This record gives sequence, C-alpha cells and structure tokens, in this order.
Amino acid sequence: MATDRNAKVTWTGSLMDGSGTIEGVGSGAFGPLDVTWTSRAEEPAGRTSPEELIAAAWAACYSMALSHGLAGAGTPPERLETSVTVTFQPGEGIVKGAIEVVGTVPGIDHDGFVEQAEGAKRNCPVSMALTGIPEVTLAVTLAPA
Amino acid sequence: MPRIVRDADVVWEGNLARGAGAITAASSGAFASLPYSLPTRIAAPEGKTSPEELLAAAHGGCFTMSLAGELTAAGTPPGRLDVRCRITMDEVEGQGHLIVHSALDVRARVDGVGTDALAEAVDAAHKGCSFSSLLRAAGVGIDIETTLDGGD
Repeated sequence: MATDRNAKVTWTGSLMDGSGTIEGVGSGAFGPLDVTWTSRAEEPAGRTSPEELIAAAWAACYSMALSHGLAGAGTPPERLETSVTVTFQPGEGIVKGAIEVVGTVPGIDHDGFVEQAEGAKRNCPVSMALTGIPEVTLAVTLAPA
Repeated sequence: MPRIVRDADVVWEGNLARGAGAITAASSGAFASLPYSLPTRIAAPEGKTSPEELLAAAHGGCFTMSLAGELTAAGTPPGRLDVRCRITMDEVEGQGHLIVHSALDVRARVDGVGTDALAEAVDAAHKGCSFSSLLRAAGVGIDIETTLDGGD
C-alpha cells in the first residue's frame, strides 16, 4: 500500500534577501520552521535547511532498516544511535552523505553488525532515493551490550 | 563557496514493529526528539513525522529556493511562492519499499511574469534544485503543477 506524506513551504522575495517558511507538515509534528538562503549556505543560526531535513529523513529511515535487519538475523537491537551528515556544495549539489551508527545489540559480533549495517545502507528506501550522491560513507561501532 | 555540512541524529530502541525512535536536527537545533515509529510511518501519522514527511519538507524547501533563485535571476523576484510537496513511498515488486514519486504543487505570485516565463523558471528550478537532481538520478518520478496568481 502506498504511503503519502506532505509538507507546505512558502517563500517571499528574492533568493538572497527573501525568506521562506516550512509552514507545516501533514502530521503536524513540526512547523512553522523558517528557512533562508544565508542560513542554508552559511551558519544555520537555528534554522533548518533542505540538507538537514534530508539528513534527518535518512538517519530515521536507516535506523529502521537496520533494526529490521538485525531482528531478522535473530539479534534485535536494544538501541541504535545514528548520525547522518549531508554535504552540499553550492553550484554542484549534494556531494556526500556520511552515516555513523553506534549499536547496542546483544548476541552479535562486530562482523555480524557490520554486515547488517552495510545492508541497511544499501536497502533503506531513503538510501535508494539518494543513489545519485557520489560518495556515501558508513562508520560502525558496536557498543558493549 | 565552501562545502556546507548539516547533521541529524536519531536514536532507535527495539525492533522494527514495536520499537520507536526520535529525530533531532543536530546542526540547527530547529527541531529535537521528534518521535516516530513503523505504524505511524506506514499508516495514520497520529501527529508523528516520518522519513517521507521530512523528504517532503526537504524537497519543498529546496525547490522553492531554487525557483526564487531563477525568478530573481530573470529580474522578477517572486512576491510569494506557495509550494506543497507530496512524497509517496510504495512497495515495488521485487525491490521492497521505494520512494516512487514526488509531487510539487506550485502557486506563484510574481509581478511582471506571464505563464510562459513562469514555466521556464519552473523548468530551470527543477533542473537546478539539488534534491530534484538526486531524485531524478534514482528514477523517482517528479510532477510539477504550476499556477500563476495575479500580480500584486
């Protein structure tokens, strides 16, 4: 079954001097959030950006996929901490994604965890939508269970 | 221009079906510890966000800035742009769940611009938006509906 999710964004004025607002999302979970070109391309100053939202979507999707893979291998996680960094080069695009995951997973060894972490990187729906990013890295740490 | 990095953090506890997670915008602090789960991702959201909703916000934001940039470069900066983005995830035979579609509904109020010039700017924005480019590269369908409001 297909799942739809939506967001509404407004913008007033030119790119450099104008400003925008992510007015809200279908779930109501967040918004309004202000966005500007300066806070996207320089210091965030408390404002989110498309790249930060992609990082958030990716970290969330990756964590679910990894949880699913670990459970399928008979070793469901107690806790996964995932950080994703998205790198944007103005004029060029999104050039890099870096996934870092720290897992507390009873009953698994390092190699088993790495195998599942690599699988989630390949297979999570957001990863599949971002295959155009030229460089995607993965750093894996298994915490003592 | 220097490279720009943005970080987000997620904590997930438990298995997929009964576990739950929390999503934080780590670079900006614009949002923190937004809860999410499998049931609220694939069925009714019940007030909780999801990866697809965050992608909708990202694509809507990216495209809107791109269009503001194109209109500004053409000498006709927008009075106001209203953009709704809808992201669809679906199960595809043999490939599991995929992001299959992004629909952008654009309403523009721009002095001195006709429908042809607006369509040209929308086309350029679609080519220039970094996230549109990635979705295209991955084979995600993108549809854009454009409406020109009367000038102000």
